[in-house]
Amino acid sequence: MFLTRAEYDRGVNTFSPEGRLFQVEYAIEAIKLGSTAIGICTSSGVVLAAEKRSTSELMVSSSVEKIVQVDRHIGCVTSGLTADARTLIDRARVECQNYWFIYNEPMPIESCAQAVSAMAIQFGDSSDGGSAMSRPFGVAMLFAGINEGVPQLWHMDPSGTYVRYGAKAIGSGSEGAQQTLKDEYHKDMSLQEATKLAMSILKQVMEEKLESKNVEVLVMKPNEDFRMFSKEEVEREINAL
Amino acid sequence: MHKIQSFPEYQVPGAQHQDFSPYESNGGSIVAIAGEDYVVIAADTRLSSGYTIHTRKQNKLFQLSEKTVLGSTGCWCDTLALTSLVNARMQMYEHLHLKTMSTEAVAQMLSILMYNRRFFPYYVSNVLAGLDSEGKGVVYSYDPIGHCERTTYRAGGSAGTLLQPVLDNQIGGKDRDVKNKPKVPLEKAKEVAKDAFISAAERDIYTGDSVILKVITKDGITEEEVQLRKD
Amino acid sequence: MYSHNNFIQTELWKGGPVPGQFYNFPGTSQDINAGNITAPGLYGSNRSSSPITTGTSVIGVKFDGGVMIAADNLVSYGSLARYQDVQRVFKINEKTIIGAGGDFADFQSLKRSIDQKMVEDMCYQDDIEMQPKSLYNWLTRILYNRRSRVNPLWLEMVVGGMQDGVPFLGHVDLRGRAYEDDVVATGFGKHFALPLVREQISEGRLLSQSEASQVLRKCMEVLYYRDCRAISKYSVAVSTAQGTIVQGPFEVNQNWQLATLVKGY
Repeated sequence: MFLTRAEYDRGVNTFSPEGRLFQVEYAIEAIKLGSTAIGICTSSGVVLAAEKRSTSELMVSSSVEKIVQVDRHIGCVTSGLTADARTLIDRARVECQNYWFIYNEPMPIESCAQAVSAMAIQFGDSSDGGSAMSRPFGVAMLFAGINEGVPQLWHMDPSGTYVRYGAKAIGSGSEGAQQTLKDEYHKDMSLQEATKLAMSILKQVMEEKLESKNVEVLVMKPNEDFRMFSKEEVEREINAL
Repeated sequence: MHKIQSFPEYQVPGAQHQDFSPYESNGGSIVAIAGEDYVVIAADTRLSSGYTIHTRKQNKLFQLSEKTVLGSTGCWCDTLALTSLVNARMQMYEHLHLKTMSTEAVAQMLSILMYNRRFFPYYVSNVLAGLDSEGKGVVYSYDPIGHCERTTYRAGGSAGTLLQPVLDNQIGGKDRDVKNKPKVPLEKAKEVAKDAFISAAERDIYTGDSVILKVITKDGITEEEVQLRKD
Repeated sequence: MYSHNNFIQTELWKGGPVPGQFYNFPGTSQDINAGNITAPGLYGSNRSSSPITTGTSVIGVKFDGGVMIAADNLVSYGSLARYQDVQRVFKINEKTIIGAGGDFADFQSLKRSIDQKMVEDMCYQDDIEMQPKSLYNWLTRILYNRRSRVNPLWLEMVVGGMQDGVPFLGHVDLRGRAYEDDVVATGFGKHFALPLVREQISEGRLLSQSEASQVLRKCMEVLYYRDCRAISKYSVAVSTAQGTIVQGPFEVNQNWQLATLVKGY
């Protein structure tokens, strides 16, 4: 007789009889509480756009960093538990620097995602220091970068699965956003179209009104280093919608 | 417990005179010349210690990939250890990152592997030749503790000091009345490399027997062997 | 009690057991270095800085269907011809033979490890035997590892055999310096035997088996005449596609009639 779900969802080291790890699935659920982020990859660049939720009028919104630099050629946006995200981003940064140190060239985006996923699945309750965390990381990540001149977008979730995408949404609005992306995205869309699409989807799925203070935009292009959109550039995009 | 400090170094009980040296010079020379779309690397095949020749046909060029060849001479056991380490690390790289290491990446990694043994160095003279990611010929040379320099031509090994000025003159156009230094064609690079070894074999007893010359182009790697004097 | 008598302990019998006490045999718990050859003792560690009981030259030749390794049957203690009936060439398995020069104790310890590997090989009962190149490479790593701890195994080894049906011959020394060739030699053999064999090998042509054993015989003879650490008795290990065998001991041809004519020393 199968036991109820509740009896298999306590430990991260126990599969349910159907072969599921509930804690990992719950971690994936945790992401759906996070703010929405969208990534779209085109042949001329890759764009990341992220919602920045303000919990209070008194909060200084510019102090919240949703999109971060991993390396000169990789940007990253996360959704889920912010503190967990910091740990993984730190690892991504160290891995990129280490790769550069040993091989004197920028780290491939896939290798970066792989390195982070290796850490993301290092959870467990061993006491010998073999695990990085006692529970799965409650974070999904989008890596946007330039790999040997080619723009790439990679997605990683708490199960440590990393997959390359043309367009991907994570966070609370991801289900609706992903549907729109499926309808609207095509491989040879321009970077401008992609940016506009990302912004308009954000506008649809966000509860708050889309403003320059509650959205962040990053566009990665070949031969250009990591650079976020300025407040003015974001406003221009919003006004163009 | 006795205090070790209380004994002068040469009087520590149980201390013995060490007449074993972990190092040995096994000779050998390398020449590498890079052009716009090719690179030539050559090394002699004599393996010796002092006046003893162990073998006359030891290849000292290690093909690391389709685009990269490493020439390594000096303490032969260190060469063997270092090159197999490089090969292992390149294989691991290929498995992890799903691509072959570029010449630039190998060059940097080699520097780090060697510096890792800063206080017990690989006693080797390395010259790395290959095509860079743009397809241009490139030469990297190293000192035993991992200092790495990117150049277009280099002589290394036991006759390195003998041959470098020859290359400076013939390839680098140094100290010659040459306006607008012409690009070195492949045939000239090969001839200079061969002549350099013929000359080195005249004066350096650790260089001789034969020279193996590898030419790396986008079409692949070719190899030829030229006999040198064997005395 | 004798054990209170410091006179005996320090002056007469320094380093040995006090009467009424026991030696600290190696491997007992009182042996501070037990189980770790490179762990430092109280005043640092003792390492081999020179060999003690030694074997002299080993010579290996490839011939058209296999490999031969020869060495005399002497193990010296300095200039003393101490052990005169010792094998220094061995059959490892049906594909591999070795010969050893240098410190014989180091070799015996290494040989025990090799033999253990062969027992493990046999236990699989899969008819797969270690080939000479594997043993050669393994030796390279072992010897290089020990030299890197500045605690070498004082050896010069010749490894031969049939590698995938093709003759293989290699040489490894105490530093892990290794190379393959059609003819290799260690010690004095490098100076005396190599030229004699190379004279017989024209480029690209290997010797026949009988030519190889003849030239080895000549080498052992010359070495016996000129190497003071050689004796006239030698053994030969042979590896062919049919398997491996150790032949001998043989006596070299010796003729000392000339000696009476040598004057002026």
